[in-house]
Amino acid sequence: MKRLKIDFNQCCGCRRCEVACSLNHFEDSVNPKKSRIRIYEEEDVFYPVVAGPFNNAECTSKNIFILDGKEVDECIICRASCPIKPWFKEPDTDVLLKCDFCGDPPDPACVKWCPCQAITLIDEEGKIEVKIEDVKKDFEREEENPA
Amino acid sequence: MNGWAGKILRVNLTQGSLKVEELPAGLTDLFLGGRGLASKILFDEVDPQIEPLSPGNKLIFMTGPLTGTGAIGGASYVVVTKSPLTGSIACSTTEGYFGPELKFAGYDGIILEGKSPEPVYLSIEDDQVELLSASHLWGKSTHKTEEIIRQEKENPWIARETSITSIGPAGEKLVKIASIINDKHRAAARSGVGAVMGSKNLKAIAVRGTKALTLANGKMFADSVARAWEKFKTTPVIPQALNNLGTSFLVDVINESGVLPARNFQTGVIKDVEKISGEHMAETILKLNKGCFSCPIACIQVTEVKDPAFLGKGEGPEYRSIALIGASCGIDNINAIAKINYLCDEMGIDTLSFGSAIACAMELTEKKILSKKETGTNLHFGNAEAVLELVEKVANRQGFGDLLAEGGYQLAAKYNHPEYFIGVKKQGSPAFDPRGIQGLGLEYATSNSGVSHALGYLVTHKILGIRGEIDPLTTEGKAPLVRLFQDGSAVFDSVGLCRLLLLGIWIDEIIPMLEAATGVSHSEEDLLTIGERTWNLERLFNIKAGFSGTDDTLPQRMLKEPMPEGPAKGQVCKLDEMLSEYYNIRGWTHKGTPTEAKLKSLGLA
Repeated sequence: MKRLKIDFNQCCGCRRCEVACSLNHFEDSVNPKKSRIRIYEEEDVFYPVVAGPFNNAECTSKNIFILDGKEVDECIICRASCPIKPWFKEPDTDVLLKCDFCGDPPDPACVKWCPCQAITLIDEEGKIEVKIEDVKKDFEREEENPA
Repeated sequence: MNGWAGKILRVNLTQGSLKVEELPAGLTDLFLGGRGLASKILFDEVDPQIEPLSPGNKLIFMTGPLTGTGAIGGASYVVVTKSPLTGSIACSTTEGYFGPELKFAGYDGIILEGKSPEPVYLSIEDDQVELLSASHLWGKSTHKTEEIIRQEKENPWIARETSITSIGPAGEKLVKIASIINDKHRAAARSGVGAVMGSKNLKAIAVRGTKALTLANGKMFADSVARAWEKFKTTPVIPQALNNLGTSFLVDVINESGVLPARNFQTGVIKDVEKISGEHMAETILKLNKGCFSCPIACIQVTEVKDPAFLGKGEGPEYRSIALIGASCGIDNINAIAKINYLCDEMGIDTLSFGSAIACAMELTEKKILSKKETGTNLHFGNAEAVLELVEKVANRQGFGDLLAEGGYQLAAKYNHPEYFIGVKKQGSPAFDPRGIQGLGLEYATSNSGVSHALGYLVTHKILGIRGEIDPLTTEGKAPLVRLFQDGSAVFDSVGLCRLLLLGIWIDEIIPMLEAATGVSHSEEDLLTIGERTWNLERLFNIKAGFSGTDDTLPQRMLKEPMPEGPAKGQVCKLDEMLSEYYNIRGWTHKGTPTEAKLKSLGLA
């Protein structure tokens, strides 16, 4: 599964990723506050924070599942309550924003614009194949015997 | 308007009133934005004879059409006013995040008029613009001011994304070499613009914006930016050097060229250059590189000094500060230079003019014209501790610092030795000795806002050999080159691009970015005409302020004293050989006044 790998030690804080993201999603306009990647600065260290599928939030479990031929990650479970997520919304409409890797196949503009290789696109190894029937059975079991 | 926010914020500090005006479209055609537009507004609205620190003077912050768009180097904006240091027009450029953030809030510029009865700061959050009391900020350093304003924001993201520009104690005390500092270490440094802000009782401007900048063609824009970056990146040496060492990579290069300002420009080379070189800085105090808004060059050096005698952290020093605080004051301790540089930023003092004034005082001491009785300290070349102590004394106008606060020229004049002040139009010289780069001497002499290499960036052509080799020691062909670079750098300042780009690209690379952003296509000639128009307008302002061709001169040292050693040994700057040719090419009279015909052709008469 393609992921954005963030190496904050490389980030120079120039916010080109914010420009790239907004320019790519809004065609003819630049608005860093509508970017799905934002730079958070703390004591001269710049942290690029991505809205969506992968971020260094509280969770530690980052397994990838292949479900019905499609790759998904565990963020799907708790994305709505992710502590960083609420920041990523359009300031004028409150529409929530999520990184979509700039389409399919993934070709993120931020990666292309980043001058210091702080953001790279990687292909994560270690996938867990899951059959859709098993997932259905799991759900049924849970419904019958709620914890 | 594509590329622009489309509005200008006018603030009358006397009345405490705010007005949002349309960006004058007719003027952007003639002057683009930034330096050109701000100079035009100052010219139209301010009497050139006004006392610079009176409420009648105006302080103009102006971005350009490429500021904040994502263009490489597109983080730049200018501060234009009448300078209290030189009496001429002042145009101080700076980068960082403030200019882009201002545009995202919906404003291309801010015009500040009058004088607030009480210390205030201007808070801008999109359409919510307020003048707030700055009584709790007054007297505070620029860093503390930023910190306090940020602490007042509830959301940590908003606190961080708010960009602040402020003056330190120096600006408040009307120190004539005071700067305006944005984003902690970026400085609108020159010409004493900080004193004008102080005279208006304006401590700071804080801005955060959430609006979009519309571009004429986003796809084309992204492509043109990528091309310009590719061009810059493939320039030999420069991009890597800038990224690894910042502008301080120049220390070695300039010393080798024999034009480093050593001991108040008494000579052009120093022995222990490795002690203050960019390489040494990178090995000892460098923490990380930082980029201004959307600039991939990332030439800012975030540094930290752990030496207990000079403990501190911040950004820089850049080449010019190393040269003028270091080499020119005989200081060869990079820790000390960095610490003095940090403190100058915190106090809101221009490091160049500070170094220049101190070096002048040191030479006056060396020549036994000044003694400890006057200076209160042993101000010999190389006394870093004494210089460090003087930073806060200048900012607060205490003791000898009160005299230094008027700038090196006033100091030298007071002791009847103006020849030991190395500068033009009362502003301290930049960090290159023109005896070894003839054309630079012409550029210094004819600069509109007091001498400033930044306003022509000719040094790129001369020293680094970009765009062909040039013999720096001859005067031949230098007048047209100076004119070209002056007009060209005015274009960079007007579109909102950092002048450092001139180290790798020329105006032809601006054209596609500008067209994709604004939808207006310009030829190289069009742009140079806009640069020339700006240059002539600034000149007109100065003439009305009382300047004439006799002010287009250099210090005696550069004109008469042969360089004692190094590659430029035996050289003086042969300004006379170039000046009349320059006037001629500019279409000015032999006294340096633009002719009626020239002004007509530029639409200025």
